[in-house]
Amino acid sequence: MEPVIGIDLGTTNSVVATVQAGTPVVIPNRSGYRLTPSVVAIAKNGKRLVGALARRQSVTNAERTVVSIKRLMGRKWSSRTTQEALTRLSYEVVPHDKERDDFLVKLGPESFSAPEISAMILAELRLDAEAYLGQPVSKAVITVPAYFNDMQRTATKDAGRIAGLEVVRIINEPTSASLAYGFNRQVGEKQICVFDLGGGTFDFTILHMYKGVFEVEATGGDTVLGGDDFDARIVDWLAEPFKAKQGIDLRKDKMSLQRLRDAAEKAKCELSSVKQVEVNLPFIAQSPTAGPLHLQAVLTRSDLESVTKDLVDRCLQVCEQVMGEAKVKPNAFGEVLLVGGQTRMPRIQEAVKSLFGRDPSKSVNPDEAVALGAAIQGAMLLHQEQEMLLLDVTPHSLGIAIAGGFFQSIIPKNTTVPTSAHHVFTTVKDDQTSAKITVLQGESEIAAQNELLGEFMMTGLRKAKRGEVDIDVIFDISADGIVSVSAIDVQTGLRQSITVTASSGLTEEEIAVAAKANEEWMLGQKEPPEWPARKEKAEQLFKQFEELWPRLENAAANGLGMEPLQRAKAAISVAKLQVANKESEGLAASVDRLERMLGALKGALERGLTSPRGGGQ
Amino acid sequence: MGSVLQNARGGGSDLPEELRKELTDFDKRSRGLSHYEVLGIAPDADGGSVRRAYLERSRRYHPDAWYGKNLGEYGPLLSKAFQRLSTSYQVLGDEDLRAQYDKQAAAKLNATDRAAVEKRKLSREEEERRHREGRERLLRSKGFARIAAARQLYQDAVSMAENGERARAIATLQAARELDPRRPEIAEKLAQLELEAQKARARFALQNGREHEERGEMPAAIAAFAQAFQIDPKSYDGALGAARCAFAAGEVQKASTFAAKAAEVAPQGESEARLLLGKAFIELGFKNKARHELTLVLSQHPDHKEARALLKRV
Repeated sequence: MEPVIGIDLGTTNSVVATVQAGTPVVIPNRSGYRLTPSVVAIAKNGKRLVGALARRQSVTNAERTVVSIKRLMGRKWSSRTTQEALTRLSYEVVPHDKERDDFLVKLGPESFSAPEISAMILAELRLDAEAYLGQPVSKAVITVPAYFNDMQRTATKDAGRIAGLEVVRIINEPTSASLAYGFNRQVGEKQICVFDLGGGTFDFTILHMYKGVFEVEATGGDTVLGGDDFDARIVDWLAEPFKAKQGIDLRKDKMSLQRLRDAAEKAKCELSSVKQVEVNLPFIAQSPTAGPLHLQAVLTRSDLESVTKDLVDRCLQVCEQVMGEAKVKPNAFGEVLLVGGQTRMPRIQEAVKSLFGRDPSKSVNPDEAVALGAAIQGAMLLHQEQEMLLLDVTPHSLGIAIAGGFFQSIIPKNTTVPTSAHHVFTTVKDDQTSAKITVLQGESEIAAQNELLGEFMMTGLRKAKRGEVDIDVIFDISADGIVSVSAIDVQTGLRQSITVTASSGLTEEEIAVAAKANEEWMLGQKEPPEWPARKEKAEQLFKQFEELWPRLENAAANGLGMEPLQRAKAAISVAKLQVANKESEGLAASVDRLERMLGALKGALERGLTSPRGGGQ
Repeated sequence: MGSVLQNARGGGSDLPEELRKELTDFDKRSRGLSHYEVLGIAPDADGGSVRRAYLERSRRYHPDAWYGKNLGEYGPLLSKAFQRLSTSYQVLGDEDLRAQYDKQAAAKLNATDRAAVEKRKLSREEEERRHREGRERLLRSKGFARIAAARQLYQDAVSMAENGERARAIATLQAARELDPRRPEIAEKLAQLELEAQKARARFALQNGREHEERGEMPAAIAAFAQAFQIDPKSYDGALGAARCAFAAGEVQKASTFAAKAAEVAPQGESEARLLLGKAFIELGFKNKARHELTLVLSQHPDHKEARALLKRV
């Protein structure tokens, strides 16, 4: 059966999982860790680094290290979110195509789109999964925050394609976590909610579970509220007094900003278990007069709580709004699930407890539940192993721009997907041959305040008097939450061609080019197929030599001589080095040599300590 | 009949034949179906049943349930069926929308359904008031006063039940039980009334089924009969009705399932279910099974002409 993996592509960390023999498991990366930092860097020597390696060098190579790319996925260059994010980035982002209003991330001599950066993380996770499963992996379910709009979802799907993955489904993180919770749990009927505060986004989702069917009732969130914001508050808390005292803004220097940020995150995590931490950053800056400057501060849990109070309040407001939309009371839930690393913060757990009047569930791991759920969804779809079904909803209203710059909703938010809706357009001029439809997603009545998904041009309309041509435009939202538009001439039943005239997404061609580049990179990373067998053979030989060694030493003392032993020893150490460096070809030769030596030495022992045949004295 | 099955089989789709037939039928009739009929529930079903019916049906109609299968020409139908299902649920799952829909649809509903809708509306208002009152009393009473209050509520409930106000009686008894959970007669009366309510719902569904059958609206009739059988697993009429309508609609597999269930709960001397089962088996090509069923019919009614003729054929 072809494996399918579930990927939680997080803002700060990513996790990959699969379902093995009916059990969902997290796949450790090739360094043995279950979490892979969502960090990508191009090292000074031009090598691509992903994960912990990239993170480790981020201080010394801040300008060529990309963190939190998820925040920029599917965004437009001119959007407020992008422009705000720019002020906090240590890497360079430049506008790209004016028409598409997109941007590129500059890493040394090269530039990459946001999906390409995400694809690097996905490719790494794919390699981890292939190493773990011992077979190629090409199918994946990737999670996104429930509140992601169509463009962000499409960008994520594109990233998957660039990484050479067939993205079976994009699913929402909180829903995914609930699948992990509901898996193999005999819950008859239960209403649950998921409070998901990750590195960059916040989602609140209400679900109803009944006999393995998971129905999302309502979902809402904030795509720019997450652990990163908590870190930023600590960074400010550290940098402001320093600026006041020394006149130097540490946030202006990329290297010191990266150090501050690392220290802030570390302090924040520690404050989940202790009441206060000391932040110590020696040589953080250079004063023109006083020489090197150091930063030293003590941060208490209550300091942290007071500088992040409004962030916690924002989360609670979202919860109340979503509960209001779903007409559900806070005490109605049979279970409250916490997902995302930031929910480890004691203040958040207290706030959740007091809002819902119950202790949050401890039965799911906040870091791993999302990836596990994605793996379960993959198995549900492709292997039909589980008797489970997911009914998800679209998080935003979908509609069109109408006269006067207003927005007309066609598919309201929280509608179960897949869904579709029609809208009939009529020509307004005689012999009108084309018409433009502007498709938007959002909740504002003003068209311009919603997210523009694209402009669609219907061309080749039949010539007729105005008002005589009716075009039925069909809007489809797939089970992934991705939108497609088609149109039919009502009178003739002919399908109209529709072309996208404005979209911030990548073109098919760009995806193909990026996918090919990635494929080449992966080939360079991959071990040749015979490597695992070769490595295993070598390790068996090491063991056999080890077991034989006392007898050989004995034989050496009794006439065999030390020389064959020394030669074996040297060959073994060469082979061990080749194992460590993954030198497949070299190891093949070593294995041959070691096998011959072992045979000869064994023969010598049997024949009674005479000089080994073929040992070449 | 045979030719209908042949057509369905020629569809080039991996979906089970029964579902393909169901989808075609549903597509033909869905415009005329009420939201209640789409979900296969009675117009007085409560919110929980609406949701359960929807989730239960989603397992069958959601495209993900058939992910990776070649749906062929049935793909769009499946998607349409699911969307129709979720539209109906969206309306009936929301009390406000449902009230609005009931009002609008009142003209189109038959007398029974309209009565049920009206009854539900009134009983809901009544229930809410009762509950509120019960709670208020509960808050006020303490210690022995609670037991006295419970006794009063119990007596009220008994007289309500005698007046035929079952919904109110049940709500009152529930409040009484909260006040005094250890009093056995409260729990007993409650259980009795709930059983009666269940039987009434089953009767309602049966009636609904017969009406649809008369009008030739087979999918709705099947759904209603099946529901009667689901509410009351001993309902011979429900199972038989579902089997009869399914057979008439060409859903032979379904007909045989229901007929077999009907035969299990058939009253002594009643062999309609077996005859139907026999016919279904003939259609499905299970000659031995058909022979067995028909022989059983004849052993009860030796001069049953139709059974004899069919037996001769196989």
